[in-house]
Amino acid sequence: MEEEVEKAVFAYLRKKGFRLTEIALQEEQTRLSSDASSLSRSESDAAKYYDGYGKLRSWAYNSLDSYRHELLRVLYPVFIHCFMDLVAQGHMQEARTFFQTFREDHEMMHLRDLQTLEGILSPSHLEEMELARLWRQNKVKIRLCQYSYELLVQYLHKTQSLAMLGVINEHINFEVYPGQPASMSDDSEAVSLIGTSQDLAREINQKELHWGLLEDSVEERMEKTLSESDKTEVDGNKEADTEDNNKKKTDGNKHSTAVNNKKKKDKVVGATGKTIRSESSMVSVPPRVKPELTLPQFPPEVEQSILEDLRNRVQLNSLALPSVSFYTFLNTHNGLNCSTISHDGSLVAGGFSDSSVKIWDMAKIGQPGRASNPQGENGSMQGMHSLASDEAKRPYSLLQGHSGPVYSVSFSPFADFLLSSSSDNTIRLWSTRLNANLVSYKGHNFPVWDAQFSPMGHYFATASHDRTARLWSVERIQPLRVMAGHLSDVDCVQWHPNCNYIATGSSDKTVRLWDVQTGNCARLFIGHRSMVLSLAISPDGRFMASGDEDGTIMLWDLSTGRSVSPIIGHSSCVWTLAFSCEGTLLASGSADCMVKLWDITSSMKALKTDDSKSGPASRLRLLKALPTKSTPVYTLRFSRRNLLFAAGALSAGS
Amino acid sequence: MSIVPKETIEVIAQSIGIPNLSPDVALALAPDVEYRLREITQEAIKCMRHSKRTVLTADDVDSALNLRNIEPIYGFASSDPLKFKRAIGHKDLFYLDDREVDFKEVIDAPLPKAPLDTAVVTHWLAIEGVQPAIPENPPIEAIVAPPDGKKMDHGKDDSLPIDLKLPIKHVLSRELQMYFDKIGELILGRADTPLFKDALLSLAKDSGLHPLVPYFSYFIADEVSRNLNNLPILFALMRVVKSLLSNPHIHIEPYLHQMMPSIITCLVAKRVGHQISDNHWAIRDFASKIVASICRRYGHVYHNLQSRLTKTLIHAFLDPSKALTQHYGAIQGLSALGPSVVRLLILPNLETYMQLLDPEMQLDKQKNELKRKEAWRVYGSLLLAGGSCLYDRLRLFPGLLSPPDILPWKTNKKIALTNLPNNKRKASSRLTAHQPPTKKLAVDPTGTNSQFPSTDGPVTSSSSGSNPNHHHSHNSSNNNSSSTGNITNANANINNVSGSGAHGQRVAVSNVLRQAWKEDLDAGHLLSSLHGLFGEGIFSFIQPAEMHCFI
Repeated sequence: MEEEVEKAVFAYLRKKGFRLTEIALQEEQTRLSSDASSLSRSESDAAKYYDGYGKLRSWAYNSLDSYRHELLRVLYPVFIHCFMDLVAQGHMQEARTFFQTFREDHEMMHLRDLQTLEGILSPSHLEEMELARLWRQNKVKIRLCQYSYELLVQYLHKTQSLAMLGVINEHINFEVYPGQPASMSDDSEAVSLIGTSQDLAREINQKELHWGLLEDSVEERMEKTLSESDKTEVDGNKEADTEDNNKKKTDGNKHSTAVNNKKKKDKVVGATGKTIRSESSMVSVPPRVKPELTLPQFPPEVEQSILEDLRNRVQLNSLALPSVSFYTFLNTHNGLNCSTISHDGSLVAGGFSDSSVKIWDMAKIGQPGRASNPQGENGSMQGMHSLASDEAKRPYSLLQGHSGPVYSVSFSPFADFLLSSSSDNTIRLWSTRLNANLVSYKGHNFPVWDAQFSPMGHYFATASHDRTARLWSVERIQPLRVMAGHLSDVDCVQWHPNCNYIATGSSDKTVRLWDVQTGNCARLFIGHRSMVLSLAISPDGRFMASGDEDGTIMLWDLSTGRSVSPIIGHSSCVWTLAFSCEGTLLASGSADCMVKLWDITSSMKALKTDDSKSGPASRLRLLKALPTKSTPVYTLRFSRRNLLFAAGALSAGS
Repeated sequence: MSIVPKETIEVIAQSIGIPNLSPDVALALAPDVEYRLREITQEAIKCMRHSKRTVLTADDVDSALNLRNIEPIYGFASSDPLKFKRAIGHKDLFYLDDREVDFKEVIDAPLPKAPLDTAVVTHWLAIEGVQPAIPENPPIEAIVAPPDGKKMDHGKDDSLPIDLKLPIKHVLSRELQMYFDKIGELILGRADTPLFKDALLSLAKDSGLHPLVPYFSYFIADEVSRNLNNLPILFALMRVVKSLLSNPHIHIEPYLHQMMPSIITCLVAKRVGHQISDNHWAIRDFASKIVASICRRYGHVYHNLQSRLTKTLIHAFLDPSKALTQHYGAIQGLSALGPSVVRLLILPNLETYMQLLDPEMQLDKQKNELKRKEAWRVYGSLLLAGGSCLYDRLRLFPGLLSPPDILPWKTNKKIALTNLPNNKRKASSRLTAHQPPTKKLAVDPTGTNSQFPSTDGPVTSSSSGSNPNHHHSHNSSNNNSSSTGNITNANANINNVSGSGAHGQRVAVSNVLRQAWKEDLDAGHLLSSLHGLFGEGIFSFIQPAEMHCFI
């Protein structure tokens, strides 16, 4: 009798589409029934979870082909919550067996999480462990198509497995959409494990992002002068109307409009840029934006050298690959933690686990018997080097000052300064001319994993174990901005070329983009499956590449916040990424002793053609894999002339 | 339940001075200990990643403990990963091998060498996307060059030889220079030492020798032209060539054009070494093998390689003014290129050539013993060439050997061969078709045949079976040369000569030749006419046992 009424009620609710009410009713029912059986519960509970999950699993695996992948999505959260419920109820032994039995289903997708959750051994750990807390406190949201949802509800009713029903009701929010089930490839977006973060990401990614390049930069001025001289040339001989000329002409057009509109808002500039892009099919011109920070001016001689470099730049594309110069560190005794290369490749710096920083001047290497201090600045030396004779013997300059392993080093754009960050919670600024420490920046409370100079110098950003990224200016010992929001260590940081944003990669497997002016998170990128180790942003400011611990490289569109193409790029950690100067190539360096070159233009083209419908992600094309001789690649850097520099420490083992 | 059993907790408790820990406490502590362990491991892994390593070290664990404000565990610091040993009798129990160290020993021991200081070296990992084969880069095979990449490579070699060579010249390191000098010295001075063997091995195996290839090719060309009279040096040079060719890390194609002339020189030079004292035949044989292997390996890259080579050789072969030694080299070179080359280039000219060679071989016509010997050599090589060609044919068409036990047949066919008009017809018709006519023809020549009694049934049968396919090539020369009678005369002549010559020379000729000769004698009785020449070859190339002594 009662059952019949219930059925009728459910049927009514379903017909009217009162989904939430339906779920609430179910919830109430389960609560009632569980109350009723609460006495006998404790004993058979564990078995119930085990059986219930096992049945649900086999049912999901045996379901209809086209709906199976959707139903399988439900399994993982149910699995985790069953496990946690068991732990919470104190069935430790059963929880373990349960976990071990079904664990391998999810290993492929969620290995890292499983490894963490495996450590939960007592109810108190549920409170303590962050990941577990997140799971317990937030609901999982799963997108299912109408029919899959009905199938699931039917199954749960038919089997009367209350344990499963309880878990699903309590922890999963279904987002039912009409029509056919989505394809497999959308999996990553369909399940948002931590309910709120996906919403957050969506919300954050709605924000407007000015990803364009800085106006009035050296490059722009260079192009302008070029286009002016070009115009007269083009008038002279229209015969030699190559692509190159075409490009320059359109650039010229663009600049004239840009100059006219300079007073108007950035957005307008962006719009004109876009219209011009649609006119000239060949070249995409990034919009120009104003700097939000007061940026330093380059001295004229520096500007001259940049212009010189730009003029001599080699055009790279899928057919013209770069030359790679490799700097190998020898005899590091496993002590090299990080390295960096200056823009012109003349200076190479390494940070060591013995707290030292060493700088090699490549121009002087191979010159036997060089003077003790070629700059002749012995007089102004600041006490860091007590033994001048020692200095004479060394082919490098030794910078000592940190009191813990040095985790990152970064040259300023003209290599006159070097930043180093260390596990002693400080960041130090060194002068490469004086070979001396200038400033020690204290502010982080935990080891500083990464420090990066801005592309214009003067400012720098740091990432730390204290879960914050900070923005500093070299002349202040206090940070200017603190970017908080990551749920775990911030492992790497990278500047946007227009200096208005910084990107951070974290152990919480997300990448965030921060607005330096406001200190707010401007983008949240979810998709990595392990710790993000390296970041690079394309020179046109539109795309970002991120590499993780598993060897996956993901390419993101900053403007939409979507992933363009995930690839399994390497078999081990991707330590470093670099875009070529025109943004046509991406170079990645990894612990598997490879430098790989990826074609960006082809995937961009694919992106442009289906810009509107944002179809399945196109793949990055591997152009070339360059193996090294048992030397993991720590650093990659394209010079302004598009020569690729790479650095790594020879690992003696193999 | 957990990976830390409660017994472990009890043991640890005892070790820090808590003798009677209640089992409940131990049980409660065990999961927490495991949790803490995992936590520290997680942090340690973070530290490991930021130290850009993939192997966890004690330092990482210390850093992780530091992060958590826990005093690090002293005494395990080491820059290398720790080496664990498996406890005997336990599957997953490992321990650190920690030896007891005697202080006295440590103090008395001499100071260890100071570790080398960190240094940075540079090299080109890639030049315009192509990895140069230098010792700093991994061997080329590891790259698994895709076909299109390879093509690009070649394109570059062809179009920009100057651009490519210039950096190589500058790059040549001191070590490579020393290596080159040393090899050069070995070749010129001490080619018979075991060291030279090692050097050859190194040339054949080592990667990173690519920068030296142009120097070597120049060196070889230079030295070959200078040392034509010095056989050991020539031999050493050829062995170097062989080693370089077999080195998988070297792209030798661009330099082949420099090396080929030297090798061909060794093959067909008029005088190599001292004519009398040195065994210059051996180097010709050796060079012919090298040439053949080059053609096999690079024929597809340089499609005109083989055609140019064969042109050169056939010129040497057909020029009567050239010395017999040159002829020998040319024949060897051609025959090394394979049976088809022999069939197409040597066999058509064999007839005329034999007429030329014939007087040279006869004791009465050629008084110079050396010349005569040479002639026999040439004859031997021709025999070998023809025979191997024949053998190849036989292998290709095993059906030819099918009727070995029908005795009357063989005679028929052999005679058919003598008869030119029949031959012609036979050549035009295929194997299956020609059998009835030969049978018919068998009637009249039996008489002639009986004059040369067949010693060995099966052998003749097989030889006759193989004859037809020989014949079409043969035919062409026969047709335009002269009338039937003429040829038979000539052949008879040759056969006679060979018989008598064999007796006269038997002692003098080398082993191989003698072997061949003996067979010729055996076979000679039955083959009086033109194919007698081949008959002996056929004979030796059909019996597997004898075949070995030729190949």
